[in-house]
Amino acid sequence: MRRTITGAMIGLGLILMVIGYFGAAPWGADSVANSDPRFGFAPTVFVLGVIVSFSAALVYELLPDRPER
Amino acid sequence: MATETLATRKPLPQEVGRFTSGWRLFFAASVVVLGFGIYALSRELSTGMVATGMRNVGTMGGASWGLYITMVVYFIGVSFAGITVAAVIRIFNLTKLRPIARSAELLTVVALILGALAIIVDLGQPLRGIINLFKYARPQSPFFGTFSLVIAGYLFASLVYLYLGGRHDAAAMARYPSRLSAFYRGWAAGYRDTPGEQERHSRTSFWLALAIIPLLVIAHSTLGFVFGLQVGRPGWYGTLQAPAFVVLAGVSGIGHIIVLAAVVRKVVHDKQRIGTEVFAWLGKLLMVLLWVYVYFMTVELLTLLYATPEVEKQLSDALIFGSYAWIYWGSVVLLVIPALILAWQALTRRWNVGVLVASGLAVNLAAIGKRYLIVVPSQTHGTLLPYEVGTYSPSWVEYAVVAAIFALGALMIGLFFKAFPALPLTEEEATVDA
Repeated sequence: MRRTITGAMIGLGLILMVIGYFGAAPWGADSVANSDPRFGFAPTVFVLGVIVSFSAALVYELLPDRPER
Repeated sequence: MATETLATRKPLPQEVGRFTSGWRLFFAASVVVLGFGIYALSRELSTGMVATGMRNVGTMGGASWGLYITMVVYFIGVSFAGITVAAVIRIFNLTKLRPIARSAELLTVVALILGALAIIVDLGQPLRGIINLFKYARPQSPFFGTFSLVIAGYLFASLVYLYLGGRHDAAAMARYPSRLSAFYRGWAAGYRDTPGEQERHSRTSFWLALAIIPLLVIAHSTLGFVFGLQVGRPGWYGTLQAPAFVVLAGVSGIGHIIVLAAVVRKVVHDKQRIGTEVFAWLGKLLMVLLWVYVYFMTVELLTLLYATPEVEKQLSDALIFGSYAWIYWGSVVLLVIPALILAWQALTRRWNVGVLVASGLAVNLAAIGKRYLIVVPSQTHGTLLPYEVGTYSPSWVEYAVVAAIFALGALMIGLFFKAFPALPLTEEEATVDA
């Protein structure tokens, strides 16, 4: 469970970074005039991705142990 | 009952919670400097950037990046070594250096916060700048890396590293009866030092350390690219900018760690755990980085002196013989002399802590000088358009704000170590119950 949640958080962070990066980078824009991010606050999504990825370490350590039967 | 009595008698370890007269003096002096800086900043915000010495490049014959940006580059550089040392200690299991790991991690966090503040005070409209960065920052610009990786990712990762590394000691500190026990319990977050928790922490810190090292090399290189990729600015454009940034970052950061380690050793009266071998290790690391940087400086100097184009010559003349020569040669002296002294100490294997601290301070003064020379002269003497040569002198407002940023950093470190042990607790310190 602990590993699954940690892995999922790292994965989610990476996905957010990719979305944020390509949302903020106007690759393929036809002119400099259209070079704003494709959606509002795309750079924030990238930063959130970095934060979520590193938060996985917190979750991995702080998640309480399963109670012993 | 016996436990309670013993616990009541046992004070918090490592001078935590004890405010000596020396510390109070330090606190008062820092608050005064900080207060004056806040007043200066209020002047800057109310009258505008005209309160600073910064002016437009070219048309107004000035520099639009001055002392503040110099300090941004400097503080972010200082942050480099702290977390690097902490990560290297963890990855290579350097037990001898473990006592300085927390100071190193704290230095990184504080330096990054100060770096971010130095950017904010450089903005005429700080709020607008911050919002637009979150809204419009573009990955093609090196600023994106500086903002997303350095300020956000790297600061957050360092905080996580510092927090998780402190849980063991927070749990032990929570057992001491003190006004801070709720704070320690919150930090410990249920940590009981079970074998499972120890193993998990060992694994997390290893992977975090591994993830942080490439992140910080990328982050510092990006900061170098802010200057190194500007084709139209002689003195900035160059392939050496990024590696030189990383190496000088290491030099200034290790210098700071040496000074901080000496202060901690004096304050907690523990010459055994922060012994000469710790300083010898740091001294050797500083020496290697210094010589690499001296090599970079020599290459830069030879390139500047060898058949340079006209504008580059104007810039190199200003740096080497002109108005910036005293900063340039002063920085060279403050880098070369410590490099020679450290080499001598390494060869004779006789390390003197006082000399190492003096070297740490000297290389930091040099680092500020070198950062200033990277930021300013290319704006005053490096315009490709036919403008007159410009000038830049920081105003009292800039000096006061920068002094306040330093004071804030000192306060943050000073207060942290009054609330939390500077060194990892020994078994004896961690045991409160009889």
